[in-house]
Amino acid sequence: MTAESKPKIGIYGFTGCAGDQLLIIHTEDEILNLFGATNVQSFVMASSNPIEDDLDVAFVEGSVSTEEEREHLLEIRKRAKILVAIGNCAVNGGPQAMYTGDGGYEKRLRKVYGEGVKFITKPLEAKPLDAFVDVDYYLPGCPISQPQTFALISRLIHGATPEPYPHPVCHECKLNENRCLLLDEKFCIGPLTLGGCGAVCPSHGLPCVGCWGPNEDGNFSQHLKLLESFGMSRDEIIRRIRGFGGSKIIRFIEDGGK
Amino acid sequence: MPNKNTITIEPLARVEGHGGIKVEIKDNKISNVEVRILEGPRLFEELVVGKTPQEDLSIVPRICAICNLSHKYAALRGLEKAVGVQVDPTTRLYRELMHHGEMIESHSLHIYFLALPDFLGYDNAVAMADKYRDTVTKALQLKKFGNKVMRMMGGRMIHGENPILGGFGKLPSKETLENIRAEAYELLDFAVATIDLLGGLEIPDHMERETQFLCCRPPGEDYGYYGDFLITSDGQEYPAENYKNVIKERVVSHSFAKRGQYNDRPFTVGALARILLIGERLTGKARQAYDKLVTDRWHRNPLFNNHAQAIEQVYSLEGIIDVVNQLLVSEDAVIAPPTQETGIGTGAVEAPRGTLIHHYEVKDGKIAAADIITPTAMFLDDIEAFIRTGGEQLLAREQRDNIELQFEMIARAYDPCISCSAHLVEVIYK
Repeated sequence: MTAESKPKIGIYGFTGCAGDQLLIIHTEDEILNLFGATNVQSFVMASSNPIEDDLDVAFVEGSVSTEEEREHLLEIRKRAKILVAIGNCAVNGGPQAMYTGDGGYEKRLRKVYGEGVKFITKPLEAKPLDAFVDVDYYLPGCPISQPQTFALISRLIHGATPEPYPHPVCHECKLNENRCLLLDEKFCIGPLTLGGCGAVCPSHGLPCVGCWGPNEDGNFSQHLKLLESFGMSRDEIIRRIRGFGGSKIIRFIEDGGK
Repeated sequence: MPNKNTITIEPLARVEGHGGIKVEIKDNKISNVEVRILEGPRLFEELVVGKTPQEDLSIVPRICAICNLSHKYAALRGLEKAVGVQVDPTTRLYRELMHHGEMIESHSLHIYFLALPDFLGYDNAVAMADKYRDTVTKALQLKKFGNKVMRMMGGRMIHGENPILGGFGKLPSKETLENIRAEAYELLDFAVATIDLLGGLEIPDHMERETQFLCCRPPGEDYGYYGDFLITSDGQEYPAENYKNVIKERVVSHSFAKRGQYNDRPFTVGALARILLIGERLTGKARQAYDKLVTDRWHRNPLFNNHAQAIEQVYSLEGIIDVVNQLLVSEDAVIAPPTQETGIGTGAVEAPRGTLIHHYEVKDGKIAAADIITPTAMFLDDIEAFIRTGGEQLLAREQRDNIELQFEMIARAYDPCISCSAHLVEVIYK
């Protein structure tokens, strides 16, 4: 295959920890194949001299947290046939979006940066990509998982349709035959959290903190009641659930928390 | 070559995060240098207020993927002081093992994949593979090994939750430890060969100037990556909790950024600072590498940070062998509980790219205040100073060709972590 006939891809990073791009770089067995099977036009974290042109697939990590990022995202969307949000920050807004919409953003910003300053680009309260553009596929994770990432990439570059993965962490935890931490009244939100991580934390005897964001089918109201029965206040529970759920989890809490 | 008055390098490639460099030239002199941090603000220090130490430990490593375990480690050291947790010696060894894994992961990523393509004339490491297949393949193995140790101790490669207050959720088996030790032995030859590979590179001298160095002083007599004291190249030593008096945050009017200075001047942190300040403590093959490579130029040239990282790769492989040997005859680790709900603690560690400080005030079991100072925050001023000196020299020598690459190489040598420094988003006063 010549470079011209290979699918053109771009991998971009907005505000976040760069862990999803790093995960792709860290796939020691696949990174050479990725560069061989596709025409990687732009992957600034790994390579100099990007070519910013039409793309078959754009993978975008990070939340939109500045005006410059918002404009850049709109520009990428225009030239990408398919746009994939990769990682929790792009999918849900990430931890930086845990208080998005509470009205306290300006105050927090001033507290960290001081008064009377003008930013080089206007800071925006962190939001996921789909607050600004249409997103074709979501690859959740904090960070994304290697098997899911390469299954998605190979389907997309071969023109196949990726399959959804609607299972919670709780499901994967059962497959691992772990003892349920909720039986010991541990604050675990595996039932509410999107799986794909392989239930890694419960498999280490540690409760799920929810870092992959909400699983749409989660029974929020019932789980809140269960956690309350452990003697924890509703405020405390919601504070913890929001740690990684970004702005999207609010809808589930509101729908399910009554 | 046209006489450009402003050189803008954006995006700055092969670094972690979103940044750029802007250099302004007036009358053939450098009039302004800005390392631009374009990553959006995340406000972590505010987000963790009101949370429990354990929640903080899940959240703050998300500042940075490459050095997530250094953030976890610094937070653990700060929070454990605040809530009176005394970990046992076995847990301390496991934490050293975890940290060695991260050093190998981060240093190997930086040396072979982010920095080396510049020296060999490529856009990226994959393009290098045709001519340097053996080096690239072995570098991938070494990086994979670092990741494996991180996964073993962290729970997963990036953002593992296994290190917790007082200990670990799950510990590796004896067999796993023995396998890790065997693999470290196997990789030592390649790490040592890298010393010769880097030793053979021609290192430009245009940017050379005197600077200052700072790192943690490890306890005892050995080399290491954490400590309760900060030491500096002027021979001073400070308790880590006094960090605010040592590292002064500075505001500049043209391009505001909270930046660290020591003695009102820029300073270097990272492998280069550690090797120059505590390198005499090295033993074994790392010591041989030190004796072979280190010269007086290292004090004036940040490009030798790549070489210093290569020495630390050798040190960390030997360190893994040593720590596993100790662990195999250690008592079992026990998770140590908090003994108080209110307190203050400063945790200092050496992240791969330099000194990292997490300071916490905990009140009634919740975080009341947090302060995080990252290495990239500390050395941004130093990068600018070296780019300025290098730029002036290159202009004086009339070497304007590929001047951009020369500037990028200076910035990349520091292995900057822009996500880490994002609370330094560049701002301009009205």
